[in-house]
Amino acid sequence: MTTTLFLVQLINGLQYGLLLFLIASGLTLVFGVMGILNLAHGSMFMIGAYLAWYFVEHTGSFGLSAVVSAIIALIIGIIIERTLIRHLYRRNHLDQVLLTIGMIFVFNALQSILWGNDPLGVAVPEILSGSIPLTDVMEYPVYRIFVAVFCVLIAIVMYYTINKTRLGMLIRAGESNREMVECLGIDISRLYTIVFAIGVMLAAVAGVISAPITSIVPGMGEHVLIACFVVVVIGGMGSIKGAFIGALLVGLVDTFASVLVPQLSSMMIYILMAFILLLKPQGLFSS
Amino acid sequence: MLFNKRAERIFIWVFFPLALMMPLFLEQNTFYVSKLTTIMIFALFVMSLDYLVGRCGLITLGHAMFYGLGGYIFVMIAPEYEVVNFWVYTFYICAIAAIVALVIGLLILRTSGIYMIMITLAFAQMAFYYFSDSVDFGGNDGVFIYVKPETSLFGLSLFDLDNPTHFYYLCLLSLFNTMAFFKIIMRSRFGRVMDAIHENPGRTVALGYNVFFFRLISYTLASALGAYAGYLFTLQYGFVNPSMLSWTTSGTALVMSILGGMGSIYGAILGTIVYEGLHYSLEHLTEHWLLLMGALIILMVMVFKDGIAGYLEKLLENRS
Repeated sequence: MTTTLFLVQLINGLQYGLLLFLIASGLTLVFGVMGILNLAHGSMFMIGAYLAWYFVEHTGSFGLSAVVSAIIALIIGIIIERTLIRHLYRRNHLDQVLLTIGMIFVFNALQSILWGNDPLGVAVPEILSGSIPLTDVMEYPVYRIFVAVFCVLIAIVMYYTINKTRLGMLIRAGESNREMVECLGIDISRLYTIVFAIGVMLAAVAGVISAPITSIVPGMGEHVLIACFVVVVIGGMGSIKGAFIGALLVGLVDTFASVLVPQLSSMMIYILMAFILLLKPQGLFSS
Repeated sequence: MLFNKRAERIFIWVFFPLALMMPLFLEQNTFYVSKLTTIMIFALFVMSLDYLVGRCGLITLGHAMFYGLGGYIFVMIAPEYEVVNFWVYTFYICAIAAIVALVIGLLILRTSGIYMIMITLAFAQMAFYYFSDSVDFGGNDGVFIYVKPETSLFGLSLFDLDNPTHFYYLCLLSLFNTMAFFKIIMRSRFGRVMDAIHENPGRTVALGYNVFFFRLISYTLASALGAYAGYLFTLQYGFVNPSMLSWTTSGTALVMSILGGMGSIYGAILGTIVYEGLHYSLEHLTEHWLLLMGALIILMVMVFKDGIAGYLEKLLENRS
């Protein structure tokens, strides 16, 4: 492997890892605060990508489409939490799994009714469509770098929100002791609605920004969901920091495996996960 | 008495005689005979999952891995153009699947709850990608089986696997045996310890039982039976493909098990029949049956928690 190829793979791996972080952070946040395992999290990613396509087709502007899609995702999140998830807080994990499987069925059906089953694509927005030359023959697309930078920005905003703001304080308090938070006069159910909606929005935003670099197909959500599971299992369920480290690890291992050991490439992240579980059954950063 | 609940006894006395006579009603309508065969094979699979989740409290979302493995192990070890013995290969497949389950169980049983759900799913996906990427096993198309095994046992050949009606009876027999097997296990000393572990693992440890060991044995048993169901499915349709190991197979089985009534064992049969019946009729109604199915599942979790078996038991208790 030449240095250039190594560098390209490194950027690819980091970019994929950062995107995974964006999705996994929502999953782990919702679990950490509310104790809910949302299997339909991947469906939100899928919905995000389809919404992006739909609005780009109708408005022609990727930026506008991204904003509208994010707002719609937020509203979907609020509705789902208020009508369905709310009833599950005192139930066991099995009921959560079933309910969210039901939600996956519904979302997949809606996707097929609204947008059909043919693969769709979104063009890379004009301003970001260029490439950065690396050597005489190789170049790297600007949009992928934009994706990575965007994810880093979101990570910084999340870090700041959770550690420095009042909402973040409540989230951390809700994680450690929900009864106590209630006793202090905080409306915990409103906090849960906000956290769930943010989780949904994070997944949808990830779907929106990955729309131009992947093909939008039915079932894309499930594929991403499993990768996110690996990320949060490695990082430790409920830990945002763990999700960040886990996502970068998974992104790098997955990218380099496809170059170095192509036969095992799609299995490599699971092997990594099994290995980490052997050492630390609760993940790297479990609380 | 092996079948101790009233609802259970009534179910057995209604279901099995009816199932025995079914091919007579359907005469030579092979479509429905093979449809029912598939339902029974899947009910066997759901039953093994039901034992694991409902009786042992081990929630797995990767049980389909063994369903698929049942087929793939057969393809791996059986010679392609030779007639092999069904019973011998049943033993091989269950034994190999048990060894795989033992190794995986050593890993996943270190975890519990939400972690276990995700790790079992991840392992199943690993197997899924392995088989769907591999050239040796035909990738996404899977592998075809050209010759079906013969079923002679002590010189007596009871079933002709190419005959749908014979295959139907083989599956019915397997289903009944599996059910009786699980009931015997549940009544034994081993099953009582499993119940204790399900109720309160901490206290069972304090009583001096090795909880990990008991769980591992249960996991291995249920996995081997899951593989047996996959083996039957493979033989029925003459092929094996990666979709058998997909997470939707695990998810559907879990839904069926809940629908039937978790942990009741016989509920697995009820749940599978009702789910497949709904699926079949909704599919004829609209191409977007998935939407209705999803809505039904959500409704079921919200209001119909105990499943059909739980409902029947409550109904019969009130009357007596």
